[in-house]
Amino acid sequence: MSEAPVVLRATGLQRRFRMGQELVHVLHGADLELRAGETVAIMGRSGAGKSTLLHLLGLLDRPDEGRLQLDGTDTVGLSRPARARLRNRLVGFVFQFYHLLPELTALENALLPRMIACGPLRWASERRAAREQALGLLEELGLADRARHRPARLSGGERQRVAIARALVGKPRLLLCDEPTGNLDERTSEVIADQLFDLSLRHATTLVLVTHDSDLAQRTGRCLWLHDGRLQPLDPGPALPAEKPRPRALQSPP
Amino acid sequence: MYRPFLAGRYLFARPVSYLAIVAIGIGVGALITVVSVMNGFLRETRSIVRGTTADITVLPVQQPSKGEIAGQAAYERVVAGLPGVAGVTSRLVRPAVVKVHGRDNLSLNDAMVGQSGHINQVMVMGVDPVAESKYTEFTHYAEQVYDDSLKVKEVQEAAAASPPRAPDPARLFALDRKLIRDRRLAKADLPRILVGEQRMLIQQLQPGDALELVTLPDDVDLSGATLASRTETFVVAGAFRTGKYDFDVNHVFVSTPDFKAWSGTHQEFSEMAVTAADPARLPELRDGLSRALDHAGLPAVVVTWEERYAVYLGAVENERNILAFVLGLFVLLTCTITFSMLTMMVQEKVRDIGILSAMGAPALGIGAIFATCGLFVSALGGLFGFVAGEALARNVDAVKNWIESTFHIEIFNKEVYAFTTLPSEVNSWLDAKVLAVTVLFSVLICLLPAWRAARLDPVDALRHE
Repeated sequence: MSEAPVVLRATGLQRRFRMGQELVHVLHGADLELRAGETVAIMGRSGAGKSTLLHLLGLLDRPDEGRLQLDGTDTVGLSRPARARLRNRLVGFVFQFYHLLPELTALENALLPRMIACGPLRWASERRAAREQALGLLEELGLADRARHRPARLSGGERQRVAIARALVGKPRLLLCDEPTGNLDERTSEVIADQLFDLSLRHATTLVLVTHDSDLAQRTGRCLWLHDGRLQPLDPGPALPAEKPRPRALQSPP
Repeated sequence: MYRPFLAGRYLFARPVSYLAIVAIGIGVGALITVVSVMNGFLRETRSIVRGTTADITVLPVQQPSKGEIAGQAAYERVVAGLPGVAGVTSRLVRPAVVKVHGRDNLSLNDAMVGQSGHINQVMVMGVDPVAESKYTEFTHYAEQVYDDSLKVKEVQEAAAASPPRAPDPARLFALDRKLIRDRRLAKADLPRILVGEQRMLIQQLQPGDALELVTLPDDVDLSGATLASRTETFVVAGAFRTGKYDFDVNHVFVSTPDFKAWSGTHQEFSEMAVTAADPARLPELRDGLSRALDHAGLPAVVVTWEERYAVYLGAVENERNILAFVLGLFVLLTCTITFSMLTMMVQEKVRDIGILSAMGAPALGIGAIFATCGLFVSALGGLFGFVAGEALARNVDAVKNWIESTFHIEIFNKEVYAFTTLPSEVNSWLDAKVLAVTVLFSVLICLLPAWRAARLDPVDALRHE
């Protein structure tokens, strides 16, 4: 695994927020290196800054300090449009609450990142290929017959699968999932998790999961604990934080 | 590609978008229709005023030292001698009280049409029919009477001849004495008169009826000691029709000698109608005439037809401008519907904006989605209004007739406006400019909500509930 090329390298990420008079340090020098095809879980208490970290990694937000390289490009100094382009090309997001656009069908939702990537002329030539690819993804996710449905007519699990198709349609190097199963029942969660791992493996996408679910975290290659604004490897042993019950997965490392 | 696509989806998922489109359409359509109709009014008014008025009118001024106006011949010599003058004819004009012979002065009919003006008052025009026909539409007025039975005998005969010939202007006032209705008048050699078709209809006159005209002499003493009036009975020879309603009601024509005999005036003429060789250069000719008359020691006021009716024409033009201004404001108001619609849409779509950012849509692109919404709404609404407005403006008279006959209401009082059909002059180029300004203004004010959408922080937007 360590021979695979580095997709993301973050060093000394700091992010502060002003809350009234007070300056809150959410991230305090987080370091992270992700290689192609790797699967990583990021855990931590509520409010530890997991989502903030994910937003920084996905270029939605800018760190106050630190460096962030994505696919070999230094991103911190880039302009907003350049970061948007990079985000469109390299990053896919899956959110806890699906975040589909209600006016669009499942297929159109899944096509959106490709549409954003193309101007009208390029879209005319790529439309067919993009549609086929998105339909293929929906089919892989078992949603072939749901492609023309609006999100309102889909179940939670179906919506999340559409969101996964949308995140993967642009063939991103990095798939960032914020509690992807947090809003689903146990059975659906399992199916979704299976599909997530399966697809990211097949599409050779680096998968980052922010989760509270230790079962889910257990299935990743590496587990990180966000605490005090820093990322620490979550190793079996006594160093586990007391606030959080030790995830079952780590009692018998894979 | 996502910009027009999402703009379309956002718009057509909301009923309020259709409302905005319809509102803009109504505004643009109303503006186009009203401006077209008002331009039609203006055109018709100008052409009617133009038709009954000479290019340039010379009004002689009484010289206090001499006490009377210099001779017609002196004036005509100076005027006709000026280059640029194609012809000149003199008229006598005098107000009179009119009474239909053999009827009570205020008949029931008169009372019924009382709203159309002072039916018992009339301007008597003394003309030389031959000279008048040469330089004005005089013969034509006699020919374009609608009702054949009201036409002058000579016009009827000329039209019936084979091949039809032009009527002889010298015979326009002719009426066979056998046709005089009141036999008692047949023996007297009474002067003839031409009456406007509208007045003929209102007073139910026929050729052969007689009118009594009463006027005051030149040297009238209004102190009341001896108030002498001059009266003469005229036999109606036929009708004329200029198309200008109030002219047709309020003017009658008699021949110059009859006019002089009736009024006993010392004046040879009251005004001089000048026909210009080049109607496009009237102001220059007016100045030339003014100078030439001054030089010859013949004081006169010289006015072009536009100046003579400046107040009247200006009123119509003013009316058009005010209506265009008010409706223009209304169109701008409808554009603000787009603004509030988009402002609400942006508020509602905050999370979508976050999602689009997460998928890599740049801030400008997100702003463009909403600006495109504004463009769609205003362009669709404007186009709808443009098509509807042009269609309505082109068929406004048919629509008016349909509404009047279906709902039994009169929306166009032809006594207020001087014509019987609702005129309209469609200027598609002007309408296209109205459309362009509407779209431009809409898009401009939509830039504000669009800019607010673009400025949203994606992380905050994603967290938005």
